[in-house]
Amino acid sequence: MSNINRQRLADNVYFNSVRDSRFKTMKLSANLIVPLSEKTASANALLAGVLSRSCEKYPDFTALSKKLSSLYGADLTVNVTKAGDRQVITISASGIDDRYALDNESITEELSLLLCSAIFEPNIKDGKFADGEVEQERRQLLEVIDSEFNDKRIYANSQLIKNMCADEVYGIKRYGTVGQINAVTPVSLYETWQELLKTATVEIIYVGDSEPDKAAEVFKNTFSKVGRAPQKISNTVVRSADKVKRVTEEMELSQSKLVMGFRTGIATGDSDCAAASLMCAVLGGTASSKLFCNVREKQSLCYYCSSRFDRQKGIMIVDSGVEGDNIEKAEQGILKEIEDMKNGNISDFEIESAKMAVVNAYRSSNDTVSGIENWYASQLFDGKFKTIEERSEEINNVTKEEIIRAANKLTPDTIYVLKNTQGVKE
Amino acid sequence: MNITEIKSERAHDSYYKLKHSSGLTIYVYPKEGYRSAYAIIGTNYGSVNTCFSVDGGDKITVPDGIAHYLEHKLFESEEGDAFARYAKTGASANAYTSFEKTCYLFSCTDKFEESFEILLDFVQDPYFTPETVAKEQGIIGQEIKMYDDSPDWRVMFNMLGNMYHNHPVKIDIAGTVESIAEITAEKLYDCYNAFYNLNNMALCAAGNVTVGQVLAVCDKMLKPCEKHEITNYFEDEPKEIVAPYVEQSFPVMVPIFNLGFKEDPEPIDEKKLAQTDILLSMLASPTSALYRRLMDENLINSSFSYELFEGPGYRAVIFGGESRAPRQAAELIKQYIAKVKSEGLDKEDFEIAKKSVYGDVISSLNNVGSIANTIEAYHFNGNELFKYIDAVAGTGFEDVANRLSEMLDVNNCTLSVVKPENAEV
Repeated sequence: MSNINRQRLADNVYFNSVRDSRFKTMKLSANLIVPLSEKTASANALLAGVLSRSCEKYPDFTALSKKLSSLYGADLTVNVTKAGDRQVITISASGIDDRYALDNESITEELSLLLCSAIFEPNIKDGKFADGEVEQERRQLLEVIDSEFNDKRIYANSQLIKNMCADEVYGIKRYGTVGQINAVTPVSLYETWQELLKTATVEIIYVGDSEPDKAAEVFKNTFSKVGRAPQKISNTVVRSADKVKRVTEEMELSQSKLVMGFRTGIATGDSDCAAASLMCAVLGGTASSKLFCNVREKQSLCYYCSSRFDRQKGIMIVDSGVEGDNIEKAEQGILKEIEDMKNGNISDFEIESAKMAVVNAYRSSNDTVSGIENWYASQLFDGKFKTIEERSEEINNVTKEEIIRAANKLTPDTIYVLKNTQGVKE
Repeated sequence: MNITEIKSERAHDSYYKLKHSSGLTIYVYPKEGYRSAYAIIGTNYGSVNTCFSVDGGDKITVPDGIAHYLEHKLFESEEGDAFARYAKTGASANAYTSFEKTCYLFSCTDKFEESFEILLDFVQDPYFTPETVAKEQGIIGQEIKMYDDSPDWRVMFNMLGNMYHNHPVKIDIAGTVESIAEITAEKLYDCYNAFYNLNNMALCAAGNVTVGQVLAVCDKMLKPCEKHEITNYFEDEPKEIVAPYVEQSFPVMVPIFNLGFKEDPEPIDEKKLAQTDILLSMLASPTSALYRRLMDENLINSSFSYELFEGPGYRAVIFGGESRAPRQAAELIKQYIAKVKSEGLDKEDFEIAKKSVYGDVISSLNNVGSIANTIEAYHFNGNELFKYIDAVAGTGFEDVANRLSEMLDVNNCTLSVVKPENAEV
């Protein structure tokens, strides 16, 4: 496993670096972490877009793109995600390693500086962001929200969370709301930017071959000039559900979508978290899982039927695409597999194969830049980083009894159905 | 056995190629320091090969979607399912069918040899019965319906239907619920026996593997194949498109478009491919003046992309993405191409695009999966990856200008739009 070196740069600002000579590329990401909140989610998301499209030195999108392309097709990207009740704004720079430059340029250094410019030296005049830049990003963000409706699997999953977590912070969408996005002004965005630099917890992750010290230094110097007042970030876990909520929508589609949300009663930090992960893999995480073998292969009800575990929130989601007439049958089929697990009807083969699949996925992640980055990024809220081998051992040590116990903590919370009505009109 | 080492000074990598006595072409691309290994075996057979003959025999016509159906069914043998066998090694396995090839693959961090044996075994061991064939109807039926609901997929096939009069690339890879109902065990065997001949196949292993490891398993598992002559029949395809515009209403909130330019389908070598990639980057990457104008006029968003789409008997350049005003976006793209064709390309754009294309291909050599899939794709196109890298580095401005003159005819393109029911586009 590639080792990580963690260094404190300022109050709640950390620089995590992994040196690895195997890769032809490097990646440097700044994760700005704040509490997920209805008030700020949209402004933060819009800000992320604006920061990545121009800066003082490259004041418009074309100038910045040209700079990136001339650095051998380097990328400057943003991603806004939710990790439990936190909103994570990730701004990343990635490109090929210096060894492969045709003209001996130092790409890593240039990209590190570029990332810092994007975050700390945006395109600001007279206490506000450039109007045109904000309007462009606003339009695009609104279109991104609309386009989530285009993919019905994504839409159905997001409707499940919206309904299941309606009374929780987690029910807020990662981009907030259309109304909030429209309320942002170039002046308010400037305040959002200042607030973010002051209050966010910042986790910088570097993966690459070249020395990252320069980048760390730039971040350190810049943050030393910011009056830091990091916000406290909390996360709630709803342990169980009292009764099942059912939500059905109808739409003119060829296929219906069935998405079932469960409370797992187990989340990050709990001693049985590895057991819950493995339980979910046995149920529907692999091509030898119970859902794949029975609901898909034996009953031929669907093309996909899988489960996944969000350990930050203690939620398990099962989702499938089925014929409208088969929704009930699929739901019964899924519940039967879960019931079997609760009753201990799990074979050694099912457990062993799930263990091998999970460990294989862990170990494979060490062979890509983004795999290494995600390995550590996904543990940012765990208090400490575990290595691949440590977590593999935890999985391998899970017993059948522990899987059964984890399964017995599952309670169904919300069942969302997107039901198809006739065929699609030509 | 003759093993050739293929080396790239620029990529600081090398891989090996050999022709196995069984007839199979094998590539091995070791990556030092990697824990994972990835192996893929593919046949030069995809959804477009629906009419063929073997050794000059009778012409056989098979139902649409059969190559993909065969891919699903090959995982089954008399003893059970290959996924269950992989479950004992911990490998992550999959397969895919495209227009021109069918590939089976796995990745693993342990027990490479065992998983590799499973792969070579089930690919050489077809087992189709009326019962096993019938069982797959429901699963693939749902896969087809999932794609029917995908606006990205629909907008592309509507475009292809408007571009090609006869070429089967316009038909869904998985076929239709009706066409797959005609598939029988016998027809699957016809296709298997014609196309799953090792002489018609290629293998690539990448990552934590050596040539010796790969060969040892191949020697043990591969059954020698007699070479057969396969003839694929395609109806003549006119140069011209079918119709310039098609739209479909769909439950979407943002319209999506594909603007496809019908191109000369003759195979191209690494140099021409490099010229084409640099040209398209100059024209439509986020760096380009065109992209800037489309953005400034609110006609595209960051979903905008372009693609060189090619295979046996077809080639197209496709521009696409979400747009509130797809007709205007298409018009602007056409105008811009016409203008560049008459006024010439920009030299600075060329230098930037060349570096960008070069960086992209170097970056792709990080990941064992993308390496193996790329080598496989180059094999079936008759090209070689490292020659392509050198070709990118060696491309001159004039080469790209010449390439532009033979491509992107603004009078031979077609626009496909998928839009919300009540929207005017």
